[in-house]
Amino acid sequence: MSKKKAVTIFFAIFSSLLLISGCSGSDGVSGSGEKTIEFMHLWPEGSSKQHNEIVKEIVADFEADNPDVKVKLEVLSNEQYKDKIKVLSTSNELPDVGMTWAAGYLEPYVDGKKFAPLDDLLEGDLKDSFVSGIPEAYEIEGSTYGLPLELNMATVFYNKKIFEENGLEAPKTYEEFQDAVETLAKNGVAPIALGNKDRWTGSLWYMYFADRIGGGDVLTNAINRSSSFTDPALVSAAEEVQNLVDKDAFVKGFNGLSDEEAKSMFMNEQAAMYLIATWDLPNYTTNEDVPQEFRDSVGYFPFPTVDGKGETNSYVGGPGVGLFVAEDSDVKEEAKDFTAFFVKEWGEKSVTEAGVIPATKVDAASLDLPDMYVDVLDDLNNASNITLFADVQMNADVAQTHLDMIQSLFGKEVTPEEFAEKHEEALSK
Amino acid sequence: MKRVGYMLLYVCLIVVAVFQVFPVLWLFLFSLKNNQEIFSKSPFSLPSEFRWENYLKVWDSGIGSYFWNSVWITGVAIVFTVLLASMAAFAITRMQWKGSKLVLGLFMVGLMIPIHSSIIPLFNMFLNVNMIDNPWSIVITYTAYNLPITLMILLGFYYTLPREIEEAAIMDGCSVHRIFFKIIFPMTIPVISTTVIINMIYNWNEFVFVNTFISSDEYKTLTVGIQNFIGQYMTDWGAIGATLIISMLPILLAFLFFSNKVVEGISSSAVKG
Amino acid sequence: MNRVMSNKWIIGMYILPAFLLISIFIFIPLLLSGYYGLMDWDGIGAMKYIGMENYFNAIQDGLFWQSAFHSFMLALFSAVSLIVYLAISLVLASKIKGSNLLRKIYLIPMLLSSVAIAQLWIKVFNPSNGILNSILVSLGVDNPPAWLAEPAVVLYAIFIPILWQYAGFYILIYYAALKNIPESIVEAARIDGATPFQIAFKIKLPLIMGVVKVTIVLAVVGSLKYFDLIYVMTGGGPNGASEVMASYMYKLAFSSNDFGYGSAIGFLLLIITLIVTVVVRKVTASKEELQY
Repeated sequence: MSKKKAVTIFFAIFSSLLLISGCSGSDGVSGSGEKTIEFMHLWPEGSSKQHNEIVKEIVADFEADNPDVKVKLEVLSNEQYKDKIKVLSTSNELPDVGMTWAAGYLEPYVDGKKFAPLDDLLEGDLKDSFVSGIPEAYEIEGSTYGLPLELNMATVFYNKKIFEENGLEAPKTYEEFQDAVETLAKNGVAPIALGNKDRWTGSLWYMYFADRIGGGDVLTNAINRSSSFTDPALVSAAEEVQNLVDKDAFVKGFNGLSDEEAKSMFMNEQAAMYLIATWDLPNYTTNEDVPQEFRDSVGYFPFPTVDGKGETNSYVGGPGVGLFVAEDSDVKEEAKDFTAFFVKEWGEKSVTEAGVIPATKVDAASLDLPDMYVDVLDDLNNASNITLFADVQMNADVAQTHLDMIQSLFGKEVTPEEFAEKHEEALSK
Repeated sequence: MKRVGYMLLYVCLIVVAVFQVFPVLWLFLFSLKNNQEIFSKSPFSLPSEFRWENYLKVWDSGIGSYFWNSVWITGVAIVFTVLLASMAAFAITRMQWKGSKLVLGLFMVGLMIPIHSSIIPLFNMFLNVNMIDNPWSIVITYTAYNLPITLMILLGFYYTLPREIEEAAIMDGCSVHRIFFKIIFPMTIPVISTTVIINMIYNWNEFVFVNTFISSDEYKTLTVGIQNFIGQYMTDWGAIGATLIISMLPILLAFLFFSNKVVEGISSSAVKG
Repeated sequence: MNRVMSNKWIIGMYILPAFLLISIFIFIPLLLSGYYGLMDWDGIGAMKYIGMENYFNAIQDGLFWQSAFHSFMLALFSAVSLIVYLAISLVLASKIKGSNLLRKIYLIPMLLSSVAIAQLWIKVFNPSNGILNSILVSLGVDNPPAWLAEPAVVLYAIFIPILWQYAGFYILIYYAALKNIPESIVEAARIDGATPFQIAFKIKLPLIMGVVKVTIVLAVVGSLKYFDLIYVMTGGGPNGASEVMASYMYKLAFSSNDFGYGSAIGFLLLIITLIVTVVVRKVTASKEELQY
């Protein structure tokens, strides 16, 4: 090939490349009157097989009921999902239906008028179908902008076998809990698996101390500014955290471990206790990849009372992901119908097929569930209070401060007083 | 004495080599384990059973089309990058014009932009020209973002080429294009192979741009296949290991091929030199 | 000669495609990110112009300077470790037996993606059953540090995988440069009785000095905007002890919903990198004049 020709061809290719303006762009309504709902979720097939399958089933059912509507799925992993939603929202390109988290995460999207209010669904189709009080986490100034799918609460899972070997029982009071920690530590067993690189994990511990010492609303009030974060109960909760750290209660190097690594230590019987929310239940009940022997040896107990204070039926937890509908969606009505349809079917399928506790009411008696599920559902029904995860309650900026402070508190780089002050400072900004 | 020195040198070299090979062995073992074994046992312990099903799982997840997308996107972007960077390097180092220093400086500034600063503006730009969810947006982005580093690597070599080459060619009445395509470009094959390897590794492993610009499954690349196994609460590490091994094989082969080119070119240019 | 090689049309034809690409796809985003830095913007709602406030805040932001310091340390370590890579490349490029095979082996880790490298090193650094601490314990160290959890060591611990990750990249470049040296020059020196050391330092090194300078710039720039492994392995923690400029920027823009401020940090990162690069270029240039 002569060099002139090569150059010409090359430039032709190159300039046409620059000029390509794609041929896509078939959003919403297409020529044939068929409508497309874009739905983005974060349950990839590889890691969340059951969730992924249920979504597909629900979509197929919906499409069968609504022949003129198509649902286009996009699936991303958790982190990628959050990043992409962020980029999409800067360009006003949110999917018609997607997943959101409650409270603090939701707020800017509502302020920026990106999410549509879904009150009509709650009063219509979905009236009374949610566990009471749960959709409120998605409520801002009287309107609800997200419909929760999951409901979680944190409890302490423990290894019954290790407890037996060390002559221990599930503690009811904090003294018993401390005894257990000391005995285990003395016998060379790591008492508690904690992956505090992820930081929300440590936050659970702090939140429970705050709840037990100061009552179910002390933290919530400090966050919503009806009281101060320098409340003595919030400071002594921080002290208790550091006392536990001093007792070598947590596995070595917890501030550098991810939750996943901590979990695996618990699951490999290298640590006796693990505080995590109920999304982990399948690992201790139905997950066939986990040895039966281990699953049988796991029990759970509610976080104990501290110095006789607090109630063991007050929990840290709340809804996980929920569905939103984009405010400027071209197919808003269809998207809303889909959302309502999804929530209902999800409630029916998720318990039995994915081992998830949905935010909608579950009739446990009519289902064949593992014992631990039945117990957890019972506890949920009898819960006196569920305090929403602190980092979810707070707006994104404060949540970062909170999470960083949690790591410093556990690492003993701040005093409990400084811990409280930093929070107060961030919250009152 | 000299012998002992060589022995020591070899011992050092081999120790380092062992260190460099271990990660691949580790990754291979990793890909045959389940999460339990990955987290609890020593990284180099053998799995209790070889879980080839990890590979099956990966294959079933539709990695085939991701694979093909990775291949062509990586390949096309490399061709553009290397060709354009070579031409730019030629113009900057061999031709005389005012402003070449400035342009070179601007290329260097192009090295410095952090990817997370550029992602949102880029998304907006592609959106405006309707190129979101279009694989060419990825090709163009890869080309543009690898140009500065490729150019920088090429420059060092272009400076060392003796001026006499063009002088002689021009005396013979060669056009500039002929000088570039027929003389200079072939002489830089070793360094071009180097930049091809580097570009290949960057493009092959990139995922931030793909995840952001592409939403249809049919255009996604291999790195997205890895994301497929990362869950909200659970991650299937064994399958990720299998994906990593599968995705490493083609670039390993390509690497060995181009790595030979790094040397081959020399023997031929050594003859000339 | 001059007429042919300074034809404006031809120059344009050679430089413009590349230049247009980076102008459109790098410089416009760059300017836009500088512009977003002038806004109070969460990346979701409406933008509000606030002038230079974000930039002033950033200059007074202790966390930003802390992360900048960490980035500088990484740049310093990366630049110094170039000496090691250079030494390895000199050995590999000399005609010792097996150098061809060794070279390929040395470059293999470079093919691993960051995901794999992060997982590998997380397992090396695991405080209780990691490879490193297992070795240390068997050597009789009582209480080896929890590498990624202790603020005093985490930064330097995490440098190791980063430097290791890029070793292959630089060895590859140096190797190609060394192999590009005409055999006749080396041969002539050998005939004159130069020792291998003299050939390496007096002949080969000066000949590839241009390439070395380029790699110094690449190492410094690459380090100052480094993000990947830090984000995956420590997330910048514990409590900012391993935070670098790029991870700080990402956190602000994507996790704290402070997109305006994050963009301002991103733009400052660029300015800082630019200044450092100019300084590095000046320093390396003067060194060269002193030597030759």
